[in-house]
Amino acid sequence: MYQEDTIAAVATPMGEGGVAIVRVSGPDAERIAREIFARSGGRNGRLRTHTLHYGTICEPKTGEVLDEVLLTLMRKPRSYTGEDVVEVHCHGGPFLVRRILELILSRGARHAEPGEFTKRAFLNGRLDLAQAEGVLDLIRARTEKGMRLALGQVRGGLSRWIGELREDLLEILVQVEAAIDFPEEEIELLQRDQLAAKTEALRGKIAELIGSYEWGRLFRDGARVCIAGKPNVGKSSLLNALVGEERVIVTEVPGTTRDVVEESINLGGLPVALWDTAGIRRTDDQVEKISVHFTRKRIAEADAVLAVLDGSCPFSPEDRAILESLKEKKVLIAINKSDLSPRLDMRELTGLGYKETMLISAKEDFGLDHLKQELRSLLLGVEIEPQVALTNLRHKAALERAQASLNEALKTLSRSLPPEFVAVDLRDAKEGLEEVIGVISNDDILKRIFDQFCVGK
Amino acid sequence: MIYNTYDVIVVGAGHAGIEASLAASRMGAKTLMLTLNLDHIGQMSCNPAIGGIGKGHLVKEIDALGGEMARAIDETGIQFRMLNTKKGPAVRASRAQADKALYRQQMKRVLENCPNLALRQGSVERLLVEGGEAKGVETQIGEIFYGRRVILTTGTFLKGLIHVGDRNYSAGRAGDFAVQGLSDSLNELGFKVGRLKTGTCPRLDGRTIDYARLQAQYGDDPPIPFSFSTEKISQRQIPCHITYTNSRTHEIIKSAIHRSPMYSGIIKSRGPRYCPSIEDKVVRFADKERHQIFLEPEGADTVEVYPNGLSTSLPLDVQIEMVRSIQGLERAEIMRPGYAIEYDYVEPTQLYPSLETKLIKGLYHAGQINGTTGYEEAAAQGLMAGINAVLSLRGKEPTILARDKAYIGVLIDDLVTKGTDGEPYRMFTSRAEYRLLLREDNADLRLTDLGYKVGLATEEAYRLSEDKKGRVAGLIEALENSRINPALEINARLESLGSAPLRGQSSLAQLLRRPEISFSDLVLFAPEFAGVSASLGLQAEVEIKYSGYVQRQMEGVKRFRKIEAVRLPADLDYMAIAGLSHEVREKLTLIRPCTLGQAARISGITPAAISLLSVYLKKQMVA
Repeated sequence: MYQEDTIAAVATPMGEGGVAIVRVSGPDAERIAREIFARSGGRNGRLRTHTLHYGTICEPKTGEVLDEVLLTLMRKPRSYTGEDVVEVHCHGGPFLVRRILELILSRGARHAEPGEFTKRAFLNGRLDLAQAEGVLDLIRARTEKGMRLALGQVRGGLSRWIGELREDLLEILVQVEAAIDFPEEEIELLQRDQLAAKTEALRGKIAELIGSYEWGRLFRDGARVCIAGKPNVGKSSLLNALVGEERVIVTEVPGTTRDVVEESINLGGLPVALWDTAGIRRTDDQVEKISVHFTRKRIAEADAVLAVLDGSCPFSPEDRAILESLKEKKVLIAINKSDLSPRLDMRELTGLGYKETMLISAKEDFGLDHLKQELRSLLLGVEIEPQVALTNLRHKAALERAQASLNEALKTLSRSLPPEFVAVDLRDAKEGLEEVIGVISNDDILKRIFDQFCVGK
Repeated sequence: MIYNTYDVIVVGAGHAGIEASLAASRMGAKTLMLTLNLDHIGQMSCNPAIGGIGKGHLVKEIDALGGEMARAIDETGIQFRMLNTKKGPAVRASRAQADKALYRQQMKRVLENCPNLALRQGSVERLLVEGGEAKGVETQIGEIFYGRRVILTTGTFLKGLIHVGDRNYSAGRAGDFAVQGLSDSLNELGFKVGRLKTGTCPRLDGRTIDYARLQAQYGDDPPIPFSFSTEKISQRQIPCHITYTNSRTHEIIKSAIHRSPMYSGIIKSRGPRYCPSIEDKVVRFADKERHQIFLEPEGADTVEVYPNGLSTSLPLDVQIEMVRSIQGLERAEIMRPGYAIEYDYVEPTQLYPSLETKLIKGLYHAGQINGTTGYEEAAAQGLMAGINAVLSLRGKEPTILARDKAYIGVLIDDLVTKGTDGEPYRMFTSRAEYRLLLREDNADLRLTDLGYKVGLATEEAYRLSEDKKGRVAGLIEALENSRINPALEINARLESLGSAPLRGQSSLAQLLRRPEISFSDLVLFAPEFAGVSASLGLQAEVEIKYSGYVQRQMEGVKRFRKIEAVRLPADLDYMAIAGLSHEVREKLTLIRPCTLGQAARISGITPAAISLLSVYLKKQMVA
């Protein structure tokens, strides 16, 4: 009989680190471990599962000791992939790690393809589709918070939540199907308006989940914030102050920043890429013209714009032009240089519809914490953390399909069409939800009818 | 010793056996039907009725394909009712009470008059197999029949064991012997044989029922026939009656529950949840105050009455007390006790979709042996097994009905793909993904051509259905093209139908799209359509009114067909496909699906496994 082959790969990032982990999965994992691993104290024999063993990795042919390691064996099915898994925790030098991996490969394992451990976990039923995708998000997560979201998905948070939505849907569908298949039974079924109310409630929950995609996406991919303003209002100083380091050259000469400078900051767990851009003004300088063009492009791409004004100068037509060009964006206005005497007329801003502004001083580190908080709220919208957040476009598309089908169901209900037509819409919605978690079964509905109602003559 | 050679041998003369025998002999094969008792051909062992939701659909399909069941019930039905009339056309379904004795006689007459068909009484104890092929059967008295194809339709007879209270005895059904050896013979051949349970009601003496105090339920007037070829039902129609259990009935049952073999642990197999015994209902739905009982006459010429809803295996003394606690039944006499029966079945995942077994070439299983319940489910399988046995004799491809084509297709695909899951399988409309397309009213349009092609449906039936297809298309076009104007009298008529007035010119088809307007209402606005037959009008109405939904189901069908068209080679080595999990490999090896679509429907087969499989197949094709 054919057996799954054994795969191995370095599970930690390449590069120098304190500890690295080499992971081996498959039927030969244990054999390979026993060939290359000598337990301290010279004990031989069967390795206990789910236990850390201390010892050395040796080249069996020469007896050369490569490293002192901790090794753990997780026998199937209680392992990440559902197969026998061995993990070698060794010292983190790239050369050493490579040699240990090569040794393992020379004993009959194959180098794993990217994502192959997760793929096996999925195929062996250890993870459902949403969980498997969560693992990939987890690997790519950029902040603690992003990681928590992804981790929630791996632990089944999203799947559980979708599972609950599916339960809600089945509850409605059972009513509809029971009415069709058991018309002669004396069973109490929900009326049309009650069905509509339940469908509406479910639609709301799905809409909420779809809404969380934006939230989830920001945490996963990070938010992009463009600092914009006319030249010499202190954009680069602000960037430096927010990052907390001197990253951009700051001079008194307007137009010093020509390239777009990107820096990452962490806003309470939200990864944010800050773009310092060339100041926007009308100019004949060819290089600066190009820079301004790039600035506009960046503004278009950004999730929000931090518009900087100079509080020590009067409001200028250039300021007005910039603010007017930001009408479609999420904008936070920071009035810089508030340590100097104020000469900016605030009424100009209220006239443009910007009621809330923030006084800051990048130079004196004044108002920056508040600015960060405001920026975070601006990006995330409401500060209430959703229970589960969507982070994957495929999930979003499937849920949108479910939502559209529920809209159809509501229409069908309001048109007083018979239940089998409502069922078409509800079943479509069910498929949408199942697309996320990968369950397909028609038998569930009947099972529920039998559990719930006394049917059958 | 008698040695006879047949093309097809059918073991059993129940609803599956009848259709299998008739199909095979009508297709021209020399056929033998073997039964334990020639007087019990076409016996209805349980309720005296044919049809119901999902089941009526099956009967109409059997009829379109050229089977017998619809015509027989039309001849012998004593009450016809269309169910779900308040719902849409897709889930309306026919049901009829049968005169049991007449139904048996009718079926026996048809069988006896069928050319190429021999009827014999005998109990088959052993299957004859040579080199992995079915060769014939041997009876309990050593009689041997040779046949090139063998169809087993054994019902509840394989090691049947009847339970009443703590007593049990061997029987195929009350009053008939069980068959002991055949399931051992199947077991020895390597089949996985399992055990199922079902049950039936006591039969009451109608002369001891006080009908005056009960509500009567009459059939439709005029009765609507099952068969597309029946013009009119003319025999006398009889009502059923309705009564209810009450708290005293439930008390009696609860206090005796320990004496029920289902609850005392004597019976271990699970009964069907959709056909629960009265003790099951009382225990599982304890807060329900009453349960409905339909009193159905077993025939026009007998006093026996079937109290539908009172299936039980409680001891007889409890049965009597329970029955007499019910309104109208206070003095009722039980003529036959209710009972539970356990019997052997053969797990249907061991079949190809043709109903031929994978293990033994030329051997087919149909009906309850496959773990189904219901006369209609049995008949549908019998018909398909008969057709496919003859096609295979002639070296032709089997006829496999797809899930988008017929309820019969859904039934057989479910059986061979998912198996029974420990409970007898019954058809429901919710099992069909493309429910809106699989209606009773269009069964002829869906299947008559197929029935004609295999040689069962008559030339006339074929011509009529082809003609109907053309006329439906013509009628739809005419309705799309006929205009009406918002004249005063038109709007007044609309108002009287509870429909909004017209604001501008409209087509009749547009009017028909309104939920409240039916085809028959259209005649008020366009008398030229008055001559159109109701069945034609209904087809046009469905297609126009529900076109959006029908369209969506058609799109589903398109996706379904795409994955269904990918055939999986019979010798595919699933163990050699990298990336498939162990569980998936084992399931695929066990079931050996014929198409990628069937593979996807096996429980536990993940969408990812299907992608892997399809990638593997593409690679194989390139190589």
